[in-house]
Amino acid sequence: MSPASLADLIGSRRIVVWVGTGGVGKTTLAAAFALEAARRGRRVAVLTIDPARRLADALGVAELGNLPTEIPRERLAALGVPDEGHLSALMLDSKRTFDDLVTRLAESPEVRDRILNNRIYQHVSDALAGSAEYSAMEKVFELSDHPEFELIVVDTPPSQHALDFLDAPRRLLEFLDSRLVRLLVHPAFAAGRVGFRVFQRGAVGLLKLIERITGFGFLEDVSEFLLAFEGMSEGFQQRARLVQERLLGSDAAFVLGAAPGAQSVRHASALLAHLDAARVPLAGVILNRVRLWPGKGPPPDRLPDGAEADVAQHALAETLGRQEGADFPAQAAARAAIDAADGYAALVRADAVATQDLTGRMRDRGGFVGRVPELRQDVHDLEGLVEVAEWMFRDGEEAATGGG
Amino acid sequence: MAAEPPLSLLDRRLVIVTGKGGTGKTTVAATLALAGAAAGRRVLVAEVGADEHVPALLAPGSPPVGYAGRSLRAGLDAMRIDPYQALAEYLSLQLPVGGIVRRLLRNQAFRQLMDASPGWRELITLGKIWHLEQMRDAAGPPRFDLIVVDAPATGHGLTFLDVPRVVVSAVRAGPLRRHSGWVEALVRDRDRTLLLPVTLAEELPVRETAELVERVRKDIGVCVDRVVVNAVMPAPFPPEVPDLDERLARLPEDLELPGLPGPRVLAACAGHLRARHALNARWLREVEERSGLPAVALPNLLQGVGGPADLELLVGALLSPPGNTA
Repeated sequence: MSPASLADLIGSRRIVVWVGTGGVGKTTLAAAFALEAARRGRRVAVLTIDPARRLADALGVAELGNLPTEIPRERLAALGVPDEGHLSALMLDSKRTFDDLVTRLAESPEVRDRILNNRIYQHVSDALAGSAEYSAMEKVFELSDHPEFELIVVDTPPSQHALDFLDAPRRLLEFLDSRLVRLLVHPAFAAGRVGFRVFQRGAVGLLKLIERITGFGFLEDVSEFLLAFEGMSEGFQQRARLVQERLLGSDAAFVLGAAPGAQSVRHASALLAHLDAARVPLAGVILNRVRLWPGKGPPPDRLPDGAEADVAQHALAETLGRQEGADFPAQAAARAAIDAADGYAALVRADAVATQDLTGRMRDRGGFVGRVPELRQDVHDLEGLVEVAEWMFRDGEEAATGGG
Repeated sequence: MAAEPPLSLLDRRLVIVTGKGGTGKTTVAATLALAGAAAGRRVLVAEVGADEHVPALLAPGSPPVGYAGRSLRAGLDAMRIDPYQALAEYLSLQLPVGGIVRRLLRNQAFRQLMDASPGWRELITLGKIWHLEQMRDAAGPPRFDLIVVDAPATGHGLTFLDVPRVVVSAVRAGPLRRHSGWVEALVRDRDRTLLLPVTLAEELPVRETAELVERVRKDIGVCVDRVVVNAVMPAPFPPEVPDLDERLARLPEDLELPGLPGPRVLAACAGHLRARHALNARWLREVEERSGLPAVALPNLLQGVGGPADLELLVGALLSPPGNTA
């Protein structure tokens, strides 16, 4: 049973994952959602992965560590968070999360050091693409083990990488499970078994090939890394399996954040298709920075042009001139006012057209659709997040006719 | 900072367009490709990522271009670099026997190892770009005068450029090290290669762009000489009436204007554009200040960017000398 609204997720889910392409304000949406949940009395942790420290800015926390940092009680109270509500934020430190995990799973300090000092490990755990996703999964898991948090809100890495994020446990699992890895770790184990012999012959050729392309040292480092990792692989596998179960289980929900530009919508639609293919249950979509018409209903199909426009312009200029005095450049001002209405109506229509297909698809599958208008100021403080949340939690239809 | 005027974007061999998602990176890449082709260059626009977006902008309704690539119009080719296909191509070039490569790439364990291994996608993608840059016609001139790369979103975009350096420092010997060295040399060649960051004139994108430029200067060593600031809202009112929205708001609320929405709606529309313009103008200045680079401002096309006709409207601004944004 899919939730009817964003509000239903609060209280019914343990983990809410925000996915979406970059630049849609996903971090802001996730933070606003988390703050609203706290305002509704939940104990919430929000995790962001974005290296630009957006959440740190938005939450006014100067230095977010790899551990949850509580937003001060007084700050929360001022925003209407009741006593039982609570909000902690953390910025993922990918390398540290990985190191912590190795430290926890390693069978001895020697093994731990061997891994932490291995060059391959350092490259895997460093800034190279993909490691953020692995460690994010690990962090979500860690947080969801905390009884202190009732709700964990997760912001995911941008763009196509959102799928890497969802895929990270599976990839890690498959990698650790693969015969190639087992062969590298246990060459002797494989040698005695008939089924492996054919594969081994192929694999020896393959290893030679990798050596030839990569140079000797690389392979040496890989096997050293894998050997050192061996004792931990079961722990990793177990964790990866649990993480995946938890994320695809009924305790978790995914929300798509999107923005109305034609390009952003194309990206969001592509992401939606990927999510469907991966059978990720999507609860709904929140469209961020939508231009909404300030009048009743949709913007007029067209504003006057040609002679009609001249009549309108003169009428407006006359009224403005009466109000502002004789020196006022009334005609130019009236023209600019009409052009501004025309231009803004074009933006509103373009947003509606661009998002039509996406919202239609989301409604067809029983998901919710929410809209947050483009606000006049960037959102960079908690008050701004409250404003975003208020829009986000409005019923979709109501939001469509509201105005900013 | 009395530097020499920067080279025209069209005089580079390789322009790597980068920026956070939603900044219009793909729009800028497509516009540059269009501008290059119009100026008589032979252009290739290469997308890096799981999906194709450039063909929809340059030739709406056209089928996917894929790894093989296709000409979208005279002098303008497009392709999407798929890392596995690039890897297959690379291995075929390295090995005398194509059969091994095909078997290898079909090997489930190999795919899993590769799926789980970081870094190689970036490396092989850059390797392919290097290869494209090296391609020559039978008569000698380069196959492409200008290669425009629509790179991954910034965080990952920098990783993308940094991988050859990491490999050169991590791998001790062998063809991989040698080839990475070639790719790194191309990335760092200030005459041939330019990194073109795209941003919006808003606080967070500007801050991130400044961070990006700093990291580029510190770690990557690729040439970056300007920042493209996309979707800048033009001044909506005549200069003598900077507060038009407030004046409109003072009109009697029940005023009826032929064919026009009421004064409150007019005021709200005008107010919105004014606020966006003010915000954009401020962050346009800030991005120059914080990054230490001149900006190139592209106007906000209110109707959105849907096809080549819209891109044409951006060509002039994109090619204009950077820094003339006031």
